Amino acid sequence: MNPVIPAPVPIPLPAPAWLVQLLLVFTFILHLVPMNLLVGGAVILSISSYLGRRHTHHRELARRATRAMPPVVAFTITLGVAPLLFLQLLYGQLFYTSSVLMAWSWLAIVLMVMLAYYGIYWFTMQQEELGPRAFWVILLTALLLLYVMKTFVENISLMQQPQDFYARFLAGAVGNYLGSNSPLVFARLTHFFLAALAVAGLGLAILARSWKAEAPELAVWAHRYGLRWFQAGTGLQFLVGLWFLFSLPAEIRGIFLGGDRLATALLVVAVVLAVLAMAAARKSLAASSVAILGTVSLMAVIRHLVRIAYLRPYFDPHTLPVEGQWTVFAIFAVLLVAGIATVGWMLFHFFHPARAV
Amino acid sequence: MNYPVWEPPMLGGGLVIGIIAILHVFVSHFAVGGGLFLPITERKAYREKNAALLDYVKSHSKFFVLVVLVFGAVSGVGIWWSIGLVNPEATATLIHVFVWGWAIEWVFFIVEIAAAFIYYYGWDRLDPKTHLMVGWIYFASAWLSLFVINGILAFMLTPGRWIESPSFWTAFFNPSMLPSCVVRTAVSVALAGVYGLVTASTLRDIALRTEVVRYAAKWVLVGTLIIPLAGVWYISTLPPMAREISMGAAPAVTIFAGLSIFFSALVVTFTYFGPYQHPRYFNLTFAFVIAVLALSTTGVTEWVREAVRKPYIIYNYMYANTLRVADLSRVRQQGVLESARFVRHHQVDPLKPLESGREVFRVQCASCHTVDGYNSIRFAVKGWSSDMIEYQLLHLNELKGFMPPFVGTDAERQALRDWLLSLNPQPAPREPGSPGVQAETPAASPGASKP
Repeated sequence: MNPVIPAPVPIPLPAPAWLVQLLLVFTFILHLVPMNLLVGGAVILSISSYLGRRHTHHRELARRATRAMPPVVAFTITLGVAPLLFLQLLYGQLFYTSSVLMAWSWLAIVLMVMLAYYGIYWFTMQQEELGPRAFWVILLTALLLLYVMKTFVENISLMQQPQDFYARFLAGAVGNYLGSNSPLVFARLTHFFLAALAVAGLGLAILARSWKAEAPELAVWAHRYGLRWFQAGTGLQFLVGLWFLFSLPAEIRGIFLGGDRLATALLVVAVVLAVLAMAAARKSLAASSVAILGTVSLMAVIRHLVRIAYLRPYFDPHTLPVEGQWTVFAIFAVLLVAGIATVGWMLFHFFHPARAV
Repeated sequence: MNYPVWEPPMLGGGLVIGIIAILHVFVSHFAVGGGLFLPITERKAYREKNAALLDYVKSHSKFFVLVVLVFGAVSGVGIWWSIGLVNPEATATLIHVFVWGWAIEWVFFIVEIAAAFIYYYGWDRLDPKTHLMVGWIYFASAWLSLFVINGILAFMLTPGRWIESPSFWTAFFNPSMLPSCVVRTAVSVALAGVYGLVTASTLRDIALRTEVVRYAAKWVLVGTLIIPLAGVWYISTLPPMAREISMGAAPAVTIFAGLSIFFSALVVTFTYFGPYQHPRYFNLTFAFVIAVLALSTTGVTEWVREAVRKPYIIYNYMYANTLRVADLSRVRQQGVLESARFVRHHQVDPLKPLESGREVFRVQCASCHTVDGYNSIRFAVKGWSSDMIEYQLLHLNELKGFMPPFVGTDAERQALRDWLLSLNPQPAPREPGSPGVQAETPAASPGASKP
């Protein structure tokens, strides 16, 4: 039976598919950085908050590190908007269908994110007053974020399997689908989860350096502690990555195992960069960060290639008619540069208050 | 008809969007107006060398961040989530027409969020001039964000020339875009005052509280004075039917439009005689009363704005049930079940006509009606005979201007009619000859009067 897929909107794309794909992947990378810091950070803070009942270092770490979290949540959300916008433009007929099929759990994300956001603020602003209960606040926050992560993985997985749409539709009331809970989903989720722990660990190591003046001993300890998360997370990723790779359907896995030279090369480079990032971590945080940003970026590209491979039998956005809205696009590009410059100007003054006039 | 239809029980999709949207509007307009309130009040404090007032602005900015950055931003995303679930076809259309508009809005959103954080965390780090500048950057980006979203929202009600000559520009600079933008800006100013009243009412220093309460009340009064003037201009740009619906043609909408004026008048009256005239006696309870009245105004007004767009979701282009006007005759010929993709049967099942009728309802009516909850269809057809339902379905758009025409084959219409009839069990037939007996029952009309 032919898969039942809604027809794309009968309005031409406002830019060629390649440009939208480029923006989709690029803005997704922008989202991944704070998202990893958020999810991994909430887990690491939960652990430190619990251990902090006995260990001063953990208590101090939780108190200081959480101050960085509110902007991290804000930018996870803000930077998540753009990739979702471009995804809906290119793959709307797939994305909306999978979303509608799991409408309740998808809509619940909004509430969960809001609660998690307030959880972060609560933990940040009232840790002292909350005492031992602070641990429960941040743990619940971390669990809410993991729910959000799992629902995203479920939806984006279902979206690229349109052959299942009609069966899911017949299987029960529209909106009640809770996800496949398949091994593939769990492999993917574990993969994301470890990446989040690793990136947040590295983020902690970087953040700890700014504590040197006020709490030199803590800074050294937290720096090492963060790096341990980074190295453990990245190290385990080699196993989980393999698990994820081998839970992909053979024809998709094949493109990364020599079937497609570009895809295979990207995967190899991404893995090599991760090894280099681990090796460089103790010597140079900057080098390590650049290398791991390279891995994250390449993984985002690889993920897009996986989507293309999954959808190949059903849909190729390059077949859609295009009528470029170039003037508006140019305005967007100019404003983007102006916006980044404005944020840069504000950040400069924030971090160099002495030089502010 | 392209997508599977989600039917949230009792609420219906419309109300799911409505609940999120009304709360979001109430906070997002504050995000803009509050962004003006903060730097203006901060500047006032510097000029008057009023340290107490400056402390108030600092504490107000914490409240602002907690309300706007969290609830405002997430509920805004929530609207997007909900419209994609309830009306994916229209959402996809808007994204195709406006994707670069949304991308531009995203840039403003980023600057807005960054500026809000730097403003809030920067009180002790930045010198007053730079801090004030960050406040103005916040306001500028927040207002520009409103400017873009307002254009898209106004487009849905008044797409204007876009229908004949589709382009981003004809869509964005549509007839009601400018007046709607002025109304929303005025609402933002008024809401900045309302939220200002809430935080000001908790101040302990009586002299400061009196001063700030009166000051915030002025914001409410100035904003609410502009709203009716711009509102008249806005209404003059609406399609004639939208005006008719709000002025008598649809009683429920007219009542809500009246309530909108009534609640606004209450806000003005309470603010004038309360915090403006007697700021000394103002307290948190009074502030909440004004806030609730303002929320009620927002709620009924947004509801009316949505209601007057009926029968369309994008005026003259797409009906509320996602049928494109251009597809009307095709679907009429083909049949609605044949055109819909996510249905169990593409033809009326002669063995289970009621099930088919339910399916026709789902793909064609469920975007506005629920069975038993909001805008309940069981209630709407209560007491209707088979003939009456048939007649209504045949002339839906003529009898009720705010409803799209029924489209589908005769068999589909009859299946829907029979299902609608089955919703309210008919009273047992009385003795022949007694008045009020319905000759036709669902069983007696299997639905084959026309080929």
